[in-house]
Amino acid sequence: MAYTRKDVSTLTRAERRRFVKAMLEVKRRGEYDEFVRMHIEFYVSDGEGGLRTAHMTPSFLPWHRRFLIELERALRRVDSSVSMPYWDWTNDRSATSAPWTKDLLGGNGRRSDRQVMTGPFAYAEGNWTLKEGVTDGEFLTRDLGRARDPIALPTKSELAGALADPVYDVSPWDSTTTKGFRNRLEGWGTGRGPVAWRNHNRVHRWVGGAMVGGASVNDPVFWMHHAFVDLQWSRWQSRHRGARYLPAKPPGPGSKQRGRIVARHEKLPPWDVTPDSLEDVSRIYRYA
Amino acid sequence: MVVGVGGVPVGREPSAKGRARRTSRRDLLLGLFGSAAVAVALTPLVAASRSLRAAEPPADVVFDETYRGRHIRGIQTAATSAGRTLGDGQWHVTVDGRPLQLMRRADGTWLSMVDHYRSYATPLEAARAAVDELGPGQRLRDTGEEHMGGDHGVHA
Repeated sequence: MAYTRKDVSTLTRAERRRFVKAMLEVKRRGEYDEFVRMHIEFYVSDGEGGLRTAHMTPSFLPWHRRFLIELERALRRVDSSVSMPYWDWTNDRSATSAPWTKDLLGGNGRRSDRQVMTGPFAYAEGNWTLKEGVTDGEFLTRDLGRARDPIALPTKSELAGALADPVYDVSPWDSTTTKGFRNRLEGWGTGRGPVAWRNHNRVHRWVGGAMVGGASVNDPVFWMHHAFVDLQWSRWQSRHRGARYLPAKPPGPGSKQRGRIVARHEKLPPWDVTPDSLEDVSRIYRYA
Repeated sequence: MVVGVGGVPVGREPSAKGRARRTSRRDLLLGLFGSAAVAVALTPLVAASRSLRAAEPPADVVFDETYRGRHIRGIQTAATSAGRTLGDGQWHVTVDGRPLQLMRRADGTWLSMVDHYRSYATPLEAARAAVDELGPGQRLRDTGEEHMGGDHGVHA
């Protein structure tokens, strides 16, 4: 039976406790760091050669959908009542709102070194030592809202702009597309300054610290953020009935994108699944 | 670290074409000469300028400066293989002596391992942005050079 993913701000005290406990146990078992490594390994930029499955590519959404399902499986092996809550950053927009509370993810990093000092993922608690990181610090870091040069989370209207696009993705299927739901949501902008980040990308920057780097999975908010991004895909499908994942077929022999993106019925590494098979997950989970 | 532009052998180049590379490289030079904070390593720059005038691949383009208390350094090793276009060298960028991994975007811009969700016009800008994001007291993890270079050396 399908389980439910809830808005993190609506979790009961018991749900929060069980979620945190399951996360810490997955970390203790060494499974969590495999997810961190996998995300680093599959981050292939579009100015490079090779197959892009996770970022700057149409399969950004199905790749992260499957990635979340995998973590959720690990969590549910610990506690079958747990699912990944989503963080609606269009509603919970401050550094003290959900999920930044002591009984969930803890708060902002301290000024001196951006170390997260509160909540169950604080280094001093002893349960969340970073193994795979960009820096040599073993502690989780955050810089909510970017203290030095403040930026805001994406607005409802910016997100709505992505959802209004009736086409899933467009050629050249990378970070340079200015049309298509996928990149409008993934958020690769053009130009300099704050407009360079949009929607999904901008949230990574707003959280800052670990979340803005290659090892962003180290911050558990990664999953709540991506659950909300994943929810947008479901909402987009509801809004644009019949609209499908694109491209439906691999790019032709003359295309520079040939062999570098995943078409609807192609395998999505590292898994033995296709984007097509991930378009409907209603038998696995639903959003509340 | 060693970054092959495009990260792939010649002949498998992705969509970042020569024009984007030249722009990026020119921006790098402008950035170098335009910034008061830059402590320029003159010799390779002169060599690079000469090479530019001669429309030859440059020997080295180096930035070497202190930015917000951090020593950032970038070396572009000259491309020696026949058939490589201008700017098609390899980048070594370090922050306080530790390698900063860079990736190239299809539009010719650069993103670093520290700042992975937006890109910058030049490796210098990407290195400065990485310093901004590192925050006080944090050092890049010393991953060792053995992980760098090769076909996939541009990403972790």
